[in-house]
Amino acid sequence: MKDISLGQFYPADSFTHKMDPRAKLVLVVAFIVMAFLAKNFLSYFAVMICVVSAILVSRIPITKVLKSIKAIIFILVFTGILNLLFYNGDTVLWECWRVKITVEGIIFSIKMVLRLVLLVMGTTLLTYTTTPTAITDGMESLMKPLKYIKVPVHDIAVIMSIALRFIPIISEEVDKIMMAQKARGAAFDNGGLLKRAKALLPVLIPLFVSAFRRAEELASALDARCYNATPNRTRYKVMKFSWRDLIGVIGVAVFIVLVVALNNNFWGAYEAVPAVWWLFSV
Amino acid sequence: MSDKGTESAANGAPQVTENSITAGQNDALIVAKDVTYSYRNGEQVSRGVKGVDLEIRGGEFVVVLGRNGSGKSTLAKLLNGFLVPDEGTVTVNGVDTADDDKIFDVRSTVGMVFQNPDNQMVASVIESDVAFGPENLGVPRDEIEERVTEALETVGMESYRTGSPNRLSGGQKQRIAIAAILAMRPKAIVLDESTAMLDPKGRREIMDTILKLQREKGMAVVLITHYMDEAIAADKIHIMNDGEIIASGTPREVFQNEAAIQRAGLELPVAAKVALNLKKAGLNIGFALTDEELAEEVAVALTEEKCESK
Repeated sequence: MKDISLGQFYPADSFTHKMDPRAKLVLVVAFIVMAFLAKNFLSYFAVMICVVSAILVSRIPITKVLKSIKAIIFILVFTGILNLLFYNGDTVLWECWRVKITVEGIIFSIKMVLRLVLLVMGTTLLTYTTTPTAITDGMESLMKPLKYIKVPVHDIAVIMSIALRFIPIISEEVDKIMMAQKARGAAFDNGGLLKRAKALLPVLIPLFVSAFRRAEELASALDARCYNATPNRTRYKVMKFSWRDLIGVIGVAVFIVLVVALNNNFWGAYEAVPAVWWLFSV
Repeated sequence: MSDKGTESAANGAPQVTENSITAGQNDALIVAKDVTYSYRNGEQVSRGVKGVDLEIRGGEFVVVLGRNGSGKSTLAKLLNGFLVPDEGTVTVNGVDTADDDKIFDVRSTVGMVFQNPDNQMVASVIESDVAFGPENLGVPRDEIEERVTEALETVGMESYRTGSPNRLSGGQKQRIAIAAILAMRPKAIVLDESTAMLDPKGRREIMDTILKLQREKGMAVVLITHYMDEAIAADKIHIMNDGEIIASGTPREVFQNEAAIQRAGLELPVAAKVALNLKKAGLNIGFALTDEELAEEVAVALTEEKCESK
């Protein structure tokens, strides 16, 4: 059984796994911006190359990354069809009442679907290569400047860390309570949706009672460990920005510049070559 | 409240300085004087402990025995300032636990381990969890590393350092919880029914760890429990019933106090019980705490009997 608290994390010893979680978080945000910047197929192609090279570097099996797309397949189909049917284009191929399919509509919906696929592939790479704990640490560190506007950054980080720590414990408890209720004759998997939802009530109530009891003990345990003893709290784990992160930042920056350049047709440099020019224009 | 605190802190220990961790091996580390505490729930007032006097010296192994509701857990919570007595005072190293300004001195001097090991861990990685206490105290990074290593080695969990606590047994988790307290380098450790949720193997592990702490590290250990067999190795036992300490002394003294044990609703360790019953049945036998002692006593008694009959 996989450790549930690790979420999607895929253990491997790769370049990306060893990167600083802060760098990865920032780069993911930069990547999202990049994906939204892309306008024509060539710039989309550049984003795709960026994603594929990132996947190769992280040594995550490509099938694993593709699996994450399965989760959004419904959204993909939905946006694809809607854009196809309702895009306001000029070159009409087929029309019926207010619905029309145009060449521009086809191109636009392909782009939309492509963008979503690339976004999901790029962002899941973060959760595949970084443990939730590391993500939390990275977020805490990135949020540090918010301290100056009195945001309790460290408290938020402790809350997130505790939440992560308790996910497996609570899920184990759900199993236990469900079994106990089954032993008393409860049925969780027959009847309609409403009936099933109602059947969960005898699971939720004991779960909440025990969660509150746990919270109380946890609060004492935090006190016993001198939580908030000093504002000058030190940190055991120090994250280091290494050469890997520098390479990552440079790589993503190069791709962003490339996408912007491609968006602007390299400012007209390729107008002379008709085939390339067509790609730029769509 | 705080006036009273500073006053008695000054009276109790003239040598009080900032962060005064000065108690030596045999000085009184925790002193409770005539402590009374009651829980208030609206109109209802239920007595937690009343008129308790207790002294715990540096390096001492003290066991507090009592059944559920006897007030033993309340007493534990009074020892490091989780609860502040209604009447009487508790001082740790001369610092009154009612003194809010020094509460963290008290808590880092007297560490506390609770019943459920799952509810005491804050991080998903063992070394981060152990480091949490020293981090909160603002210990420099290099020293935290040293402390984490030392604490994990002491409880014999060093090889699990970078692992997750989720797959560990109850005894192992509780050892991590102890390590997490040790990393704050306390002078005393209070275990509030920390063995109650464990299986016999886990209990054994915890008892071995406690004895190691006390004997090798010279720490004072206060074990709150209702298992009498855990009290055998103690320097001192206090039996609690209905919020009061009804018997105190060495295991040998206390276990022979049949009236107190009966009143507290406790059960003697098997060896002691067998010895007592044999005595009642007419065998001329002394008192025994452990199985080995019992065997010896029985052997002696039987040979004596043989000689007499000859």
